[in-house]
Formats: sequence, C-alpha cells, structure tokens
Amino acid sequence: MKAPTRRPEEFLPLTPAMFHILLALADKERHGYHIMREVDERTSGNVKLGPGTLYGSIKRMMADGLIEELEERPDPELDDERRRYYRLTDFGFRVATAEAQRLEQMVRSARAKKLLPRTR
Amino acid sequence: MSKSLSKDAGWFLSIYTILLRAYPREFRREYGSQMVLLLLDCQRDARTAPARTRIWLRTLIDLVRTAPLEHLEKIKKEKNFMRNLRTDLFAIGGCVLIILAALLLLSYGRSHQVSSILLFGHLLDALAFTGILGNLIVFLLVKFTRFRPLRVALWTFLIVSFVPAIALTLIVGLTDPTFNTPKVLIGYVLSFFFWYGLHWLWSNKLRPTETA
Repeated sequence: MKAPTRRPEEFLPLTPAMFHILLALADKERHGYHIMREVDERTSGNVKLGPGTLYGSIKRMMADGLIEELEERPDPELDDERRRYYRLTDFGFRVATAEAQRLEQMVRSARAKKLLPRTR
Repeated sequence: MSKSLSKDAGWFLSIYTILLRAYPREFRREYGSQMVLLLLDCQRDARTAPARTRIWLRTLIDLVRTAPLEHLEKIKKEKNFMRNLRTDLFAIGGCVLIILAALLLLSYGRSHQVSSILLFGHLLDALAFTGILGNLIVFLLVKFTRFRPLRVALWTFLIVSFVPAIALTLIVGLTDPTFNTPKVLIGYVLSFFFWYGLHWLWSNKLRPTETA
C-alpha cells in the first residue's frame, strides 16, 4: 500500500473500467460478478467488462489502495465461499469523487460549446 | 429455467481455463479462479444459445486484449527493478570510491605533511573510529533489503543507534582520560549525516520514477 499522502488528482484521469468499478462499489461491497452486473445494468448494457478487464483493473486499484478485499464475505451462508468481495477505501472514494468532478467540468465545457443541450 | 450448465458451456469453461495460461503466472495464480468463476456465473445467467455465444466471443476478445497488457506491465515492473538495482549499485560504488579517494589523499597528505589534508585526516580518523563501518553495513542492508518492514526496522536502527553511540562516547570520555571525546562526537555526527545524506540522495534524486 502506498503512503496516504498521495493526492487523488495524481490518479486522474481514470480508465473508464476503473471509474465504473469505483461507481459500482460506491454504495456497497460486491464480488466480481456483482460488479460486472451492476455496470451492465447501470449503463443499459453499453459497458460490458470482460474477466480480464475486470480483474486487471481490480489488481491495479488494489495496488493503488483505491479498493480493498474484504476479509469476510457479507453473506457466508448463502454465497459461494470462493467469491472475493471488494469495497471502496476512503482514498478510493476521494479519487472517484475527483474523477466525477473532472467529468462534470468537461460536460460543463461541452455545454458551453453547445455540444450538449442546456439543462433547465 | 434450469441453472445447470449446458454441455457446450462446460466445454468452453474448460477451454477458457487452458487459455488463461496466456496471462502472466502471478496474475493467473491470483485471479485465475475468480475469472473462471465469473465466466461460470455469466454462463448460468445466459438463457439462450446466442446469448452464450456472445459471452464467449466477448470473453475471447477480452483475453486477447488484456493478456498482452498484463505481460507488458510485468515487463515494466521487472525493468524498473533492474534500473533501481543499477542505481543502488551505482550509489554504493560511488560511495566506496569516495572513501578510497579520501584514504589515498590522506596517506599522501600524511607522508608529505600537508596541513589541510592532515586536518581532513583528523576528521576522517574520527569518522572511521566511531562506526562508519557499522553504519556502512546497516546502510547496505537497508539498500538491499526488499522486504519493507525489515528495511524500515534497519533504517530505524541506523537512526536510533545514533543516541546510544553518543551516550557511550560520553561515558567512555569521562572514564578514560586518553579518549578524545570531541573528535569522536564530531566523527559520529559527520558519519550519521553522510549516510543520511546518501540515503536522501538515493531516494529523492537518483531513484528512477516508477511507472504506474
């Protein structure tokens, strides 16, 4: 794990896969397939993460301290014991927020250039 | 709808397990079983044959795209390790050269009675006397230990050893009239800042930037 003195901006821009994974983990901890399903549903099937993309991103985000693996499964009775659950770290939350703000700024610029309709 | 796997899906899973060898071994060991499990879940939820075919195609394309990326990342990491090792060796080699040059200069100064070199010689004597060798050994251990907790422990030792060494010097100085306390103290302080400075240089200036 890297030192906690890092700034979230150092990690921007995130890859689309990383940002989608952070969004999927923003509200609760999930395992790989749950993350994949959540991204698929939230984007109406426009973004589909393959196993290599998903776990490659998970590996990098764990190394950067954006997400962490849970020691215990949230529902050990009902679930497959082989599954690994992941959750957002505080730093990961800050990085996701910084990326969302960056994207918001870009959308605002696109609106100013009339690439997008103005919101009421 | 049955949630059991069809025969063709079982075949694909077996093939995928073999194809996972395209990824680096460490990655496969860490995430291979999770990737197979993920695909198993996807297959179970695919209700029709075309849906299953789409999953297979997507998975194969994903494998072709991401396996080289993982290998590339592994190569980059190894390259960085080698570069860091070279930098370490360079720093230590440079340090040894400085010491050798100083010793040669000192022996020349002593044999020719050069006053400025003799003054430097007194400082160097003190440096050698007060544990430059001990600090060098710990410093080398710090630099070559890749196991972070041990490295931190050794580095802490290097700093902490400063306090007992000073105390010991003062005690010996009080009990032994022939012991030159100021010389030893100056030597130890110099020795400490020398190694600390070298460490600072190594970690802030010489170390190559790690790629993400």
